[in-house]
Amino acid sequence: MSPSAATAPIPTTTTTSTVDYPPSSPRPPALTVRQLSKYYGPILGCRDVEFEVAPGEALGIIGESGSGKSTAMRCIAGDHDATSGRITMGTVGDGHTDILTMSPSDRRALRVKDIAVVYQDPSEGLDLGVSAGGNIADRLTAAGWRNFGRIRERAAELLERTEVPLDRMDDPVRTFSGGMRQRVQLAKALANRPPLLLLDEPTTGLDASVAAGVLDLIRDLLEETGVGAVVVSHDFKVIEMLTRRCLVMHQGHVVEQGLTDQLLEDPQHPYSQRLVGAARG
Amino acid sequence: MAPASSHASATTKLRSTGSKPVPDPVLSIRGLEKRFVLHAVDGRIVDGLCGVDLDVFPNEHVCLAGTSGAGKSSLLKAVHRTYVADAGTVHYRTANGEVIDLLGLGDADMADLRAAEIGYVSQFLRAEPRRGVLDVVARAAIRMGVTPDEAKDRAATVLRRVNIDDRLWATYPSLLSGGEKQRVNIAAGMIVAPRLLLLDEPVSALDPANRASVLDDLTERGSTVLSVFHDLPAIRQLADRVVVMARGRIIDEGTAEEVLQRGKELVPA
Repeated sequence: MSPSAATAPIPTTTTTSTVDYPPSSPRPPALTVRQLSKYYGPILGCRDVEFEVAPGEALGIIGESGSGKSTAMRCIAGDHDATSGRITMGTVGDGHTDILTMSPSDRRALRVKDIAVVYQDPSEGLDLGVSAGGNIADRLTAAGWRNFGRIRERAAELLERTEVPLDRMDDPVRTFSGGMRQRVQLAKALANRPPLLLLDEPTTGLDASVAAGVLDLIRDLLEETGVGAVVVSHDFKVIEMLTRRCLVMHQGHVVEQGLTDQLLEDPQHPYSQRLVGAARG
Repeated sequence: MAPASSHASATTKLRSTGSKPVPDPVLSIRGLEKRFVLHAVDGRIVDGLCGVDLDVFPNEHVCLAGTSGAGKSSLLKAVHRTYVADAGTVHYRTANGEVIDLLGLGDADMADLRAAEIGYVSQFLRAEPRRGVLDVVARAAIRMGVTPDEAKDRAATVLRRVNIDDRLWATYPSLLSGGEKQRVNIAAGMIVAPRLLLLDEPVSALDPANRASVLDDLTERGSTVLSVFHDLPAIRQLADRVVVMARGRIIDEGTAEEVLQRGKELVPA
């Protein structure tokens, strides 16, 4: 029997044709980033970064320190001014509004209503001198909540969900452990149910067992809330657990993107191969 | 050879094309090539797949056979898009009859399609860490659209079927034995029958009794299956058709007995 006998010819009479799948997406992407570049003076932060995040999808960005992954995230968050590029969100305006061209006040409002960030360093996302409940109340107040009782109720509900003991609700965050501070950051970030969550090395620097607990919480919250997310990490374990697609960044550029399992098992770019090889042996 | 006659066992779903019924393949692979470029070893190129043509028909179970390094797992992974193919097409017919080249599908759409229709069970448990056994299996169903309550019921049923004691259901899979992990993996893969199931040595660590009961379950499934097994009895029990590979190519096909009679090695020595 010849090798070709293993196949039947594709029926030439077939009436179906190759089509896009799915035929059309009913919802626009939660986030679309096009040609995003950032220079710090003459120094390249990131260049021509492009990706999309579907509503409810978690996308990973992996790379080592200095690869530009946090720079890209901070340009999306509005912490840094992008040098050039275009960023749109499905929930903002008609979905075609370039948020990079918004006025500073509109950008601040966007940061409350549509984008939340969880930083590696909790002091960037929280006021450490303010209580856990107060930090959450800050975000809710900024988002237009006025009823003190409801704000308090929502803060308690969030702290309970993120497993922060309620009897610590009125203690300054400064008195909290690293893991608990990250839990408060998560509670605050999700307080007013934003459509997009940016996570920048959210478990880096925590003890292994504490990091595992925070990672589990993030995974559960992403599933429960259906928030779109960008997860920036140098740690493949974090990317593998939280995302189904990811980008690899190196020296400011996206060198590869793909399904997360593909990037781990069959990395294409020389740098991705080195990165996976170093992580997995 | 006419496809209808060579795949008689697979022609459960026939479509009339004039005078002769021809089954629509669920999977139609043409000219599939895969090379591994090892940048850390001076860009050395290792051939994985060297032009594979294969059709798999509705409800057919095709076992890939051949010696170690023949390209069997590479073929499964190229179809699943865990490996990036270098050339060829992998046309897949969806549940609603659309034909899609998986190799041209966007990553996000491929992830959606995997979640909805394409299952992959390997010899290694790839469960998320720090989740109980019941939860791991139930979540596999929830991802495919089953309600959480029903998913839990189904998870309990399927875990019993693979003989995982209910005292272990709250345990993290990482604490289980190799064979138990593999049975949890199979339970997660079987809880909702995917339209296309890719099996990569799913029973390699099981004892004979558990192996037999899992294989019995696999024969009752409603999925179209492309599989790799490293034992001949499993291939004999499950395969509607055996496709023999060597050096990244298909070199023979037929029933297990037919290809054995032609002197082909079906499993690694």
